[in-house]
Formats: sequence, C-alpha cells, structure tokens
Amino acid sequence: MTTQPSAPPTEAVLGADDIARLLPHRYPFFLLDRVTALDPGTSAEAIKNVTASDAVLAGHFPGRMLYPGVLLVECVAQLAAVIYGSAAARSATGELVADVADRVGYLAEIRQAKFLKPVLPGDQITVRAHSGPRFGGLISVTGQASVGRELVMTARLAVTELAP
Amino acid sequence: MVMTLHEATRRAAARQELCTRVKALLVERLALNVDPNSIGDDQPLFGRGLELDSIDTLELAMAVEDTFGVTVTDDDTHSLLSLNRLVDHIEGARA
Repeated sequence: MTTQPSAPPTEAVLGADDIARLLPHRYPFFLLDRVTALDPGTSAEAIKNVTASDAVLAGHFPGRMLYPGVLLVECVAQLAAVIYGSAAARSATGELVADVADRVGYLAEIRQAKFLKPVLPGDQITVRAHSGPRFGGLISVTGQASVGRELVMTARLAVTELAP
Repeated sequence: MVMTLHEATRRAAARQELCTRVKALLVERLALNVDPNSIGDDQPLFGRGLELDSIDTLELAMAVEDTFGVTVTDDDTHSLLSLNRLVDHIEGARA
C-alpha cells in the first residue's frame, strides 16, 4: 500500500496562542484555529477546523451534525477583530501580537448573509475578512467562508472597536 | 458675481435632482419602508425624522462614497443631521 504525502499544513502567520492574545473569546467560543494571511487593519485569512467533538454539534443536531451558520458569521467577526487588533498591536509595539483583547467590541450588524452549503464535521473552513470604511467606532467588514473551493457563506458585517 | 436667472434655474434643478437621488439612495441602501417622494428636503435623518440609528450612519457614509465618490468622516457628523445638510456636503465636496 502506498500512502500519498499529505499536503503541508498551511503556514501560520498567527497560531492559536497568538490569536488568544488579540481576542477576549475563550472556549467554547474561541473559534479560529490559525491565521494564514494578515494585512493588519485591512484583511486576513484564517482556518477553522470543524470536528465531531465540537460541543455545539452535540445539540445542532443530534443525528444530523451541522456547523451553525451563525458561527460562520462569528468566525468572520472574530477575524475582523484580529485585523484591527493586530493593527493596534503593531502601532503600539511594532509586533503583530500584543495584549489588545480589551479593544474588541461588539457585532453591530449583519447584512446580506448567505449560507450556500452546509458545513459538516471534518470540513476545514477558510475564513476571509476584509475591513472596509470606518465611521466612529463602527467598522464595515465583508467576509466569506469556504470549504475547499466551495463558497459556503458570504456576509457583510459592522463591528465595533473600543477605544483603548 | 451676480447669478443670472438662467444660472439660478439650472442650479436649482441640479440641486433638486441631487436631492431626489439621495432620497432614493437612502431608501434603497437602508431598506426604509417609506416612499422616497414622501421624504422632505429638510427632514431630519435621525430621531423624529427618518428614525435612523447610529449603525445606519456607517451604511449611509458607505452609500454616499460608493454613489457620489464623496467621503463622510467622523468630522462630518453635522452633515448627517438632515437631508439638506447631506446634500450640501455632497455638493460642497464635488464643487
């Protein structure tokens, strides 16, 4: 039997411990596993692995495990916080990561969310977010999630950043 | 410089057309359940006017930039107090 070499893991720009310094979220609501591309203040890409042992799948739904669409939106919101958090970290320290989780505000609006395909245990979700115009503490964000080449969700959000 | 009657008429027509476009933009982008023609030129956008909220300001600022290429920033919040002030801001920026 021959084994195919597995694809190399996508290179991390930020690992989970780095993300945990930028976000206040913790289990069971810490969703992003790895940030694979990051332009602070502008855009980012991240990976979220869905496993059958994810606590939320115990109830969504027994006998028909399905990753909730609202959590795909939350993944984009958390990635948006990574985008502006890393910009704040770089501005303050010159590094991409610092303890800036207290800047993370709230999800203010969800617009035009579309859920195109179900996401199942075993899927690796690629989340992309792009920061748009800012007005006051409100920031416009466009986001999408895909599994492989399949787009599974698109949305526009408004999130808030708290003043330091 | 004294404005001729023809020039004044032309400017008034252009202003009215811009007001109409901004009203249509408001209704479309903010999904307002009102007839654009029922919005008055002096109608406040917030509170007792169109009852927009602070989150709508971001969408409105984006809509104005997308449509007219005019930026509305934190320093221009007075421009969002009424439709006329918003149109003044757009006209001023495009002049």
